[in-house]
Amino acid sequence: MTSIPMEYYLVLSGFMFSVGIVGVLIRRNAIVVFMSIELMLNSANLTLVTFSSYLGNVTGQVFVFFVMTVAAAEAAVGLAIIIAIFRNKLTVDIDKINIFKW
Amino acid sequence: MSLYDIIFYLFAAITILSGFIVVTSKNIVYSAFSLLFTFFGVAGIYVLLGADFIAIVQILVYVGGILILLLFGVMLTNKITNVDIRTGTIHVLPGAVAVGVLMGLLLSAMVWTEWKTQPSETPVTTTVTLGRLLITDYILIFELLGILLLIALIGAASIARREQE
Amino acid sequence: MELSNLSHSLNLLLPELTLSIALLVLVLFDLIFHHDKKIISYVALIGLLATGFFVINQFSLSGFAFSTGNESYRNFGMITIDSFGSFFKLIVIVASVIIVFFSLSSDEIKKTSERIGEYYALIFGMILGMLFMISATDLILIYLSVELLSLSSYVLAGFTKLRERNSEASLKYMIYGSVSSGLMLFGISLVYGMTGTTNLYMINSLIQIPHLNLFTFSFAMILIFAGIGYKISSAPFHFWTPDVYEGAPITITAFLSVASKAAGFALLIRFVKITFVSYIDTSGFWQLIHVFDWKTLIVVISIFTMTLGNFSALWQDNLKRMLAYSSIAHAGYIMLGLAVLSNQGLTAMLIYFAVYLLMNLGAFLVVMLIANKINSEEIDDYDGLGYSSPFLAASLAIFLISLTGLPPTAGFIGKLYLFVALVDANMIGLAVVALLNTVVSLYYYVRVLKHMYLTKPETAIPEIKTSKPNTILVLVLLIPIFIFGIYFTPLVDLAKGCITILGL
Repeated sequence: MTSIPMEYYLVLSGFMFSVGIVGVLIRRNAIVVFMSIELMLNSANLTLVTFSSYLGNVTGQVFVFFVMTVAAAEAAVGLAIIIAIFRNKLTVDIDKINIFKW
Repeated sequence: MSLYDIIFYLFAAITILSGFIVVTSKNIVYSAFSLLFTFFGVAGIYVLLGADFIAIVQILVYVGGILILLLFGVMLTNKITNVDIRTGTIHVLPGAVAVGVLMGLLLSAMVWTEWKTQPSETPVTTTVTLGRLLITDYILIFELLGILLLIALIGAASIARREQE
Repeated sequence: MELSNLSHSLNLLLPELTLSIALLVLVLFDLIFHHDKKIISYVALIGLLATGFFVINQFSLSGFAFSTGNESYRNFGMITIDSFGSFFKLIVIVASVIIVFFSLSSDEIKKTSERIGEYYALIFGMILGMLFMISATDLILIYLSVELLSLSSYVLAGFTKLRERNSEASLKYMIYGSVSSGLMLFGISLVYGMTGTTNLYMINSLIQIPHLNLFTFSFAMILIFAGIGYKISSAPFHFWTPDVYEGAPITITAFLSVASKAAGFALLIRFVKITFVSYIDTSGFWQLIHVFDWKTLIVVISIFTMTLGNFSALWQDNLKRMLAYSSIAHAGYIMLGLAVLSNQGLTAMLIYFAVYLLMNLGAFLVVMLIANKINSEEIDDYDGLGYSSPFLAASLAIFLISLTGLPPTAGFIGKLYLFVALVDANMIGLAVVALLNTVVSLYYYVRVLKHMYLTKPETAIPEIKTSKPNTILVLVLLIPIFIFGIYFTPLVDLAKGCITILGL
């Protein structure tokens, strides 16, 4: 194993998670919001892999494998929905999509 | 500083910086390309952690799949004639406050918690173990994932298709 | 995993297997018979009935399936089959069967009849996700089943594409959903780091050791609750509910409000019960391990949820939107049963869910039948409906009265058992808050009745005729509301027999 303490990896993932949340909260473009969600998922994956390797237990990596698959499925469905909206409204800004109060 | 340290700091810097660009860049294409570097950075960290298989899957699925999908999304929702692909931001201040609090909580949790660890061993390749687990202990979830992908496929095709009038 | 173990596990998984096979048959038939789509609905119905049959068969069964580990050391399973799970599975299946009948007579769905195969395939995906949510006892499986349910419902919320708001409902649902499941995943990863396992039973035995970092653990629990709270639309995570319920096709709205909520609650109850209860004392109260104060969290959130739901419903002019807020309020009431943390509270929750299934589906059914004709869900368009179409108006009135919780309807029994459980647990303050909330809810339910019976319509409206099958469907939902309102012993007995959650 490396000489890097476990906390370093965790702090890195914590930073990434926060950056993802920032993106979700402040960005208007739905696609960028999706990118930020991918950042959040990536940071959760990083946490899982870190724990898995410091625990010497592969379960965490199995989980990460599943999460990646789900993330891919989610991205596909998400973009399909965005395209459907774009066809109707010619915008993907979530605050211009305002039939509903956002 | 050992070689490991340097590699770690390098990848960590790439990950954080490019992640930051993803959420702050006004140009959506820049965001998409920085995301590429974030994914690579994370893959590098996985290698450092001894998760070789996951690192490869990270590159295959995220870079080869999700990122391409996102880029397609960008292209399909920004007409060539309409080159304005800059995107704005909303409620920055409350967002910053909320995230500041969350980040404080998160980082203190990460640093102060006594995580459960085992004495480290020399990293071995994980592919065999992973493969065996996937078709023994986790066979149910593996199969369920197949159904999930089928549903995602049907759903995405169903909603993105243009209706014939 | 040895073969004998696998076949034992598969035996316990018969409902889920049947449903998966039905899903595949559905997709195949959709490809083969693309001229005659009628057959698809029948295939869906048969698949659901077969699944229901196996669920009922399982009622007496209990056990663990798909246990991990090796020969020398075997963990508990990823899936737990017990009567509690079977009860909720039955609720989901019954709701699904009714939804199929809904879809047969819904105008919105008829307009997309060439895509009906996809519609049912996605609904089956939802049901499969719910069944796994109800019986999952492993955090990985919990995350995956929640995602399966979510992915299918995101698409279904925007399925018809007839109106702009369909796909917007879909996008909004998706963004909130992905964020909350991301939060949940992060919470799960923290729990994994602290305990080194994802199995709920293992976590239960591991968190009994004293030196656990409580701050991080509570933080992780709140993150996990974000994911579950989103599914049951409890207060801080309810933002999507009104818009999605209003924008989605009404069949899907009804399904989300009953089945998806039931699955979310089953997951929450099982999660709390298995992970945190150290033992059950003689009077049936659950004694929690002192690592996270679920009681306070649930009490606060449930008060917040019902108050917010009821007060927001007061100002709604769209009936679908009003029912959305009312369903948020009902989630708050049901959570009260969990706040008690006792077997009695659990019984009350089960009773409430059985009743809620009937009355909420009924209300949505009538709203749909009326919307089929007058093409509106605005409350002003209901003026004088009590005279032009007495049957529909009367049934809607009864469903709404039952939702308020007045006797002699079944809704009263549901609320009564909840309040009794609260009073028995000496939580009288909470019972009073819930009672006051019920009074508030009376106002907006009665407002609909006022429009139907007391307001004169500006233009004369024609009678809304219902076809025979629809009349029967309304009656099927309506009659049990009276039966269970007066003769409720069988329901109570059923619920009392279904509170077994396999624990340590």
